[in-house]
Amino acid sequence: MKVLATYSIKGGVGKTTSAVNLAYEAARAGSRTLVWDLDAQGAASFYLRTRAKVKGGTERLVSAKGALAAHIRDTDVAGMHLIPGDFSLRHMDLHLDQTKRPAERLAALLAPLADRYDVAFLDCPPNISLASESVFGAADALLVPVIPTTLSARTLSQLARFLDDQPGAPLLLPHFTMVDGRRKLHRELATSLAAKWPVFLVTAIPAASVVERMGVERAPVATFAPTSPATLAFRSLWSEVAARLWP
Amino acid sequence: MNATTFTHAEFLASTVTAALAADGFEVGDPVVVRRQLLDSFDGLLYADGLRLDALDVAGSKGVGLVLTADDSPPAHLDVPMIPRLAGDLPKGPFRDRISRALSVRALSTSVMFAARRTTALRRDPAGKVTVTVAVYDALEVTGPSSPDTAMPVWAVEVHEHLGAPRAGAEVRSRLAALGLVATNGDALDLAATQAGVDRRGFNASPTVPMDRHQPALVAFRRVLANLAATVDATWPGTVDDVDPEFLHDLRVAVRRTRSVLAQAKGILDPSVRATYREGFGWLGGATGPARDLDVYVIEWDSYVAPLGRDAAALAPVLGHLIERRRAEHEALSAVLAGDRYRDLMAGWRVWLHDDTADAGDGRRQGDAPVGEVVAQRISRAQATLLERGRTIDADTAAEVLHELRKDAKKLRYLLECFGGLLKPIPRKAFVQRLKALQDNLGEHQDAEVHVAQLRGFSHELADSPAVGPDTLLAMGQLTGRLEERRLAARRDFAERFSAYDTKQTARTLDELLDGPAGR
Repeated sequence: MKVLATYSIKGGVGKTTSAVNLAYEAARAGSRTLVWDLDAQGAASFYLRTRAKVKGGTERLVSAKGALAAHIRDTDVAGMHLIPGDFSLRHMDLHLDQTKRPAERLAALLAPLADRYDVAFLDCPPNISLASESVFGAADALLVPVIPTTLSARTLSQLARFLDDQPGAPLLLPHFTMVDGRRKLHRELATSLAAKWPVFLVTAIPAASVVERMGVERAPVATFAPTSPATLAFRSLWSEVAARLWP
Repeated sequence: MNATTFTHAEFLASTVTAALAADGFEVGDPVVVRRQLLDSFDGLLYADGLRLDALDVAGSKGVGLVLTADDSPPAHLDVPMIPRLAGDLPKGPFRDRISRALSVRALSTSVMFAARRTTALRRDPAGKVTVTVAVYDALEVTGPSSPDTAMPVWAVEVHEHLGAPRAGAEVRSRLAALGLVATNGDALDLAATQAGVDRRGFNASPTVPMDRHQPALVAFRRVLANLAATVDATWPGTVDDVDPEFLHDLRVAVRRTRSVLAQAKGILDPSVRATYREGFGWLGGATGPARDLDVYVIEWDSYVAPLGRDAAALAPVLGHLIERRRAEHEALSAVLAGDRYRDLMAGWRVWLHDDTADAGDGRRQGDAPVGEVVAQRISRAQATLLERGRTIDADTAAEVLHELRKDAKKLRYLLECFGGLLKPIPRKAFVQRLKALQDNLGEHQDAEVHVAQLRGFSHELADSPAVGPDTLLAMGQLTGRLEERRLAARRDFAERFSAYDTKQTARTLDELLDGPAGR
């Protein structure tokens, strides 16, 4: 099982939309796919029409007795399962801190599922914290959505510097999101950042109202707008990621 | 998703869909579907705990594949057509899982049904599906044999969703209350059971159960009949060149037949034995060239991998190899469809199934207990192998190694074909030791054959416009690599043979022969 975390220190960059839509594409391409909603907002759970509820709460989930299997839910997407998140995740750091090896705890929780799934997406909250370190310990790659703005570029640099100091850090896979081709600044920054960071995935996710409609439809974009540019972009982005995972 | 299927002899599908609609289910329009269960001829997916289904819906493009395994969610993949080989699928985990199980084997349909399907969904207040019910009407099953029990003309499949057990339980209770009878599994499982499909597929094992006290002739006949059944079963796939394992299994069954006939001196009527040793010798020879080229194609990637980028220049050689392979298979298919093959097998089947056709001279051991006979044969085969092997040193001609390889095969075939007489634990231990020696001899033989073929190709391709200096250079490199493999195998031989020719092997053999000899 490959573990991919949609992660950014900055909020509002499209982590959850990337997680849900890439997970959809992974399942569509034949992978047994799991989404783990680690954000207290429970947005991924909401998009997948699942009640945001961690049975027994996060404290119990991350404790030594915790196990993920009982929390897994079907979604309406064939081949895609979900572990919902809820508001109790806001204390994740606190609960992880009470475990023996907090940085390894999420990896330990995922380990029993390794043969059941081909790919797991961890939809992470923003910020950098103990929970983030546990995510880095579990993930094979970090999918980092980056809006072509100065602040987004700055947080990507911060993250890269942090990971440089971490032994066995996951692969960094940044990609552009919410790109508005009509805006000169977006075009310029996308070009310069891609030149500065060769690890950037080529496909950019466009800023599109159809992506915002996910909140109304409560489903991945491809299910209600199968031929939209956003759907095609997520498909292309997943092809790039899959080529890295299964060369 | 767990599936349960409900049926009833007299119900109508419309009654069920009407009841579901009345219960608040979202009932879709009926569509005509075809579902197929796919596996290799020998059930490799099943053996690996996998199930591969294909679904096509009338009026839609392509086919939906579903790969399921125990304790794992189903994986879904839409493809333009049903794949023949794992390599026909796009790269990714779906292909990898199938490829690990199938290797070079092709997929075929184990059972298929066509039906009109109506899907009913129940949703929760958020609009999420909590249970899916598929009602199959006007079912028509196509399987390998006629079903003993008529397939119900309709079936209701209930798919319970993870995290919504109550919804699944409710609908199952509702259907049971309507008088429907539940069975485990989905409608395709039901079709497979009722069509008499054995998910384990064809078993080409040469081992048949036998009693050590039964007359040798009876036991030999049983072994030979089992091998003939393998030849018959693998014949269509070999003639149609479905995948290389059909020819492999057919060829091995023929070689085992020859070997058992060779061991049947004093047991079978000499004229029968002579006729069929000659007949199966001819057939074995006819299968050789196509099999050699199959092995070449299968091993190609591993042969050329050490050449790195230079391997690209060998594309014309691979093309030529594939073409030669195709031509040899075509020639073999003609042989297998010809009169000589038909007459050979027809006569052989008559002898195998005619218990009265055993008159003849020279059957001193025909009535002897098979356990004793086989123990003698195994001891003799081992003695021959050791005697020849001990004469081999660095200067011995390659032909002697080939003869040793044949000795090892004869011994292996005895252990396999009469495995029903032997104690499993020492047999396994002994076969492991023998196999290690055989692997070395096989590596040497394959490399030698393939070097000779490559040299032959270089002459055949000499005038081809597709072959330039880069290709010739790469062929030279490849020949060198194959020669290195052959020499490495030759160097390793002494060590492998010493590891086989030990007191431990002798003790294992003694332990093994305690059984058949009845000592």
